[in-house]
Amino acid sequence: MSPPALPTAVYIHVPWCVRKCPYCDFNSHERGDDLPEAAYLRRILADLTWDLDHFGPPAAPITSLFFGGGTPSLLQPETIGAVIEGIADRLPLAPDCEITLEANPGTAEAGRFQGYRAAGVNRLSLGIQSFSARALEALGRIHDGEDGLRALALAKAAGFPRINLDLMHGLPGQTVAEGQRDIELALDAGVSHLSYYQLTIEPNTAFFRRPPTLPEESILERLEDRGRRLLEDAGFEPYEISAWARDGHYCRHNLTYWRFGDYYGLGPGAHGKLSRWDGAGGLQVMRTQRSRVPEHWLRGDGAPSAQTPVEGDALREECLLNVLRLREGIPFEAFEAHTGLPRACLDPEREAQVAAGLLREDRLAPTDQGLRFLNPLLAALSR
Amino acid sequence: MTDLSHIRNFSIIAHIDHGKSTLSDRLIQVCGGLSDREMAEQVLDSMELERERGITIKAQSVTLHYDAADGRRYQLNFIDTPGHVDFSYEVSRSLYACEGALLVVDAGQGVEAQSVANCYTALDQGLEVVPVLNKMDLPQADPERVKLQIEEIIGIDASDAIPVSAKSGMGIDVLLEALIARIPPPTGDVDGPLQALIIDSWFDNYQGVVSLVRVTQGAIKKGDRVMARSIGKVHQVDQVGCFTPKQTPRDGLRAGEVGYVIAGIKDVRGAPVGDTLVLERSDAPALPGFEKVKPQVFAGLFPVNADDFEDFRDALEKLTLNDASLFYEPETSDALGFGFRCGFLGMLHMEIIQERLEREYDLDLITTAPSVVYEVLLKNQETIYIDNPSALPDPSRIEEIREPIVRANILVPQEHVGAVMTLCQERRGLQVDMQFLGGQVSLVYDLPMGEVVLDLFDRLKSATRGFASLEYGFDRFEAASVQRLDVLINGEPVDALALIVHKQNSAYKGRDLVEKMRELIPRQMYDVAIQAAVGSKIVARSNVKALRKDVTAKCYGGDVSRKRKLLEKQKAGKKRMKQVGRVEIPQEAFLAVLQVGK
Repeated sequence: MSPPALPTAVYIHVPWCVRKCPYCDFNSHERGDDLPEAAYLRRILADLTWDLDHFGPPAAPITSLFFGGGTPSLLQPETIGAVIEGIADRLPLAPDCEITLEANPGTAEAGRFQGYRAAGVNRLSLGIQSFSARALEALGRIHDGEDGLRALALAKAAGFPRINLDLMHGLPGQTVAEGQRDIELALDAGVSHLSYYQLTIEPNTAFFRRPPTLPEESILERLEDRGRRLLEDAGFEPYEISAWARDGHYCRHNLTYWRFGDYYGLGPGAHGKLSRWDGAGGLQVMRTQRSRVPEHWLRGDGAPSAQTPVEGDALREECLLNVLRLREGIPFEAFEAHTGLPRACLDPEREAQVAAGLLREDRLAPTDQGLRFLNPLLAALSR
Repeated sequence: MTDLSHIRNFSIIAHIDHGKSTLSDRLIQVCGGLSDREMAEQVLDSMELERERGITIKAQSVTLHYDAADGRRYQLNFIDTPGHVDFSYEVSRSLYACEGALLVVDAGQGVEAQSVANCYTALDQGLEVVPVLNKMDLPQADPERVKLQIEEIIGIDASDAIPVSAKSGMGIDVLLEALIARIPPPTGDVDGPLQALIIDSWFDNYQGVVSLVRVTQGAIKKGDRVMARSIGKVHQVDQVGCFTPKQTPRDGLRAGEVGYVIAGIKDVRGAPVGDTLVLERSDAPALPGFEKVKPQVFAGLFPVNADDFEDFRDALEKLTLNDASLFYEPETSDALGFGFRCGFLGMLHMEIIQERLEREYDLDLITTAPSVVYEVLLKNQETIYIDNPSALPDPSRIEEIREPIVRANILVPQEHVGAVMTLCQERRGLQVDMQFLGGQVSLVYDLPMGEVVLDLFDRLKSATRGFASLEYGFDRFEAASVQRLDVLINGEPVDALALIVHKQNSAYKGRDLVEKMRELIPRQMYDVAIQAAVGSKIVARSNVKALRKDVTAKCYGGDVSRKRKLLEKQKAGKKRMKQVGRVEIPQEAFLAVLQVGK
């Protein structure tokens, strides 16, 4: 059997932030402007070299790079450029490789947008969250609404072909009118992709310890309904639970996660997933994770802090966790190709959920109802 | 006839918290049963659950050697007893093996009703009771007042009660000497044909059935061929011995001694508690066994996953060997599928069994609301007994329903007597007697058992700052004005949620129950309508509003561990839910009735 080539991506984690946001539960650490950029560059490439030495080269050219954080826009454009070059020296990049960088709308970082574009970044993801000064203050963001609009203008001027905005709804004190204005401003600016998600309070965040007062349920409901309608009217398509795109400008990198493709995870706390066909026609899936604390990671030699094989029911579940976030899901053939498991292993749970109206019959995909109730659907599908 | 004068068999009767476990530990330590290093705290309470709850559930025994002041070495066989009201049956079993008992009373708190009841059992069985005042090291110790209480309430001479502190070790030597002087040695013909009473049996995965026995006549040793009198099946004895408290094999056990027997019995029903072990082909008769205990609280237990039914049956089979008081028979529920109707001694017993099934046998179970047994006289003059509300016949066929009445003895300090009387009145109790005894009040009430077993013990404790104590026993059936209250989920009656309630309470109970269930059933994909009905009449209704969505907005990129954690949380929640129609009902909602009126 000739093993299909899994789409493969590279994730690069930049762990530093000027200030940790009270809702954030990602691996981010506050740090001044004395970032160890040279050491960072060396260590990122050491991570990649280690992965290549131990897992071999990807089966097909890399389709996306993604600088996530933290705040990647705290790094100088030269450092970003050197990371991209270093990766291109070691891995084949597809000609249309998507290269995304997450950026904060703060003024200092916005000044570097041109530099990032010149370094090869072709998709900018702006952590706007909201244009309302009041909401931003409640979120503890270090930028205000004006900063957001200015950053957006600078990003466009810098010539990024694709721009994503992160927008949140259900913010403390947010009214339906404010939520509507956020969307309208984003649409006016002509972005082609929105990560539009509801604020949730996660454990291990400042908000969890001191919860803010969120809008009551009827407001939350109207906020979301209004937002969805505006986006649909503007030709946006909700291709994932919180991701909206127009003109097919899907985030290729996230699609690799959601379609259960492979990815190298570089940088502190970064997660990777790498698959290999063994001689007997079986697929071995390995998860990697790197040391979370930046200082520890900087002292390391590129080896992941943990490697976990994923197999059997766990593999089946992890695939479902990802693919069912997509409105279109994946075809059954892709499930078999990306897990090495027969599609029959989805049953009988799958059949029951098809009967309950939460899963589509023709492919591995949720119905509208299934997408809205993904948590109970996943619980019902797992063992 | 061999000399038995160096043997003493005894139990300790004590209320929870009066320091029985500490005293046991101290006796074991003084007699060198374990080195300090081996001395885990409270060694006798060996079940994990017992440790956690700080109570003794199962009888255990330990054999100790004591070098007395008279220069002789004595063998002390100590049979531990449980201390909770649910387990008085186990206490009487332990007492069968003894010639005497230490009545341990907290010198500060005084006598509690449970100790009174157990003490009466001991006296009825002809045991010598030695009063012991514990916790003498505490400033609130008031030995004279407590001695007076013992004399007034229990009616035994307490003038030579022994003051000790199990905690500090004070008075332990005096206690051991008194134990030898006052408790008589066992009697029995060592040369006669074997008779050994099975006090307790449990199943051990490695050894098979282990039985704790009291040899009353003859002797038993390795290689003997024995049979349980009522079973008649012969087994060869693999091992006999005693617990020191470590399991210690010995050459044999003789009349008067207490120890264990392992005889390769694999069938869990091969060594029933209360039966007599005799030699093969022996015509020695069975010893008088114990009164078969009657469960008082019944509830349905159903596996969350139908596939676990067989495992569940096996687990119950094993548990019944350890616990003869646990009763079970298959039950089929329209809502919950196949399970078992189980009978328990009380609510604590029910909780413990459920926890053991889940912990030791890794089962996820749903327990339905507990019920007592009703006697129902049908129009055709037939009498039936109903332990399951959903099995109550149609009212048109019923002549009369009789509810079980218990006689409850309550001991409470004078200042709390008002609170107790109010509570008993609310529970439809009828006062039978009231006596003032040295600052304590002894109250006797007749109460419907259904109003007692669920939570009266807990309510009494909280109404009296923990000072009241309760002991009760079934007295009689009495005609009562009760009826079935059905609960409907989305218009369909759910058999497992039905209750039997007093007519005058049905509307209020229905409203309260429906409201509690609304709080306990989580919001889900669809609206959930909850109704309470008597016959075709709806007496209460409520609604759990559907969720608009239940989805995690954030995707966490390549970090699957976060997504997995969320999923595991969701799955863990489902473990205690049962799907009824398309509604997921959590365990707590099935037991919502326990929270009614709180």
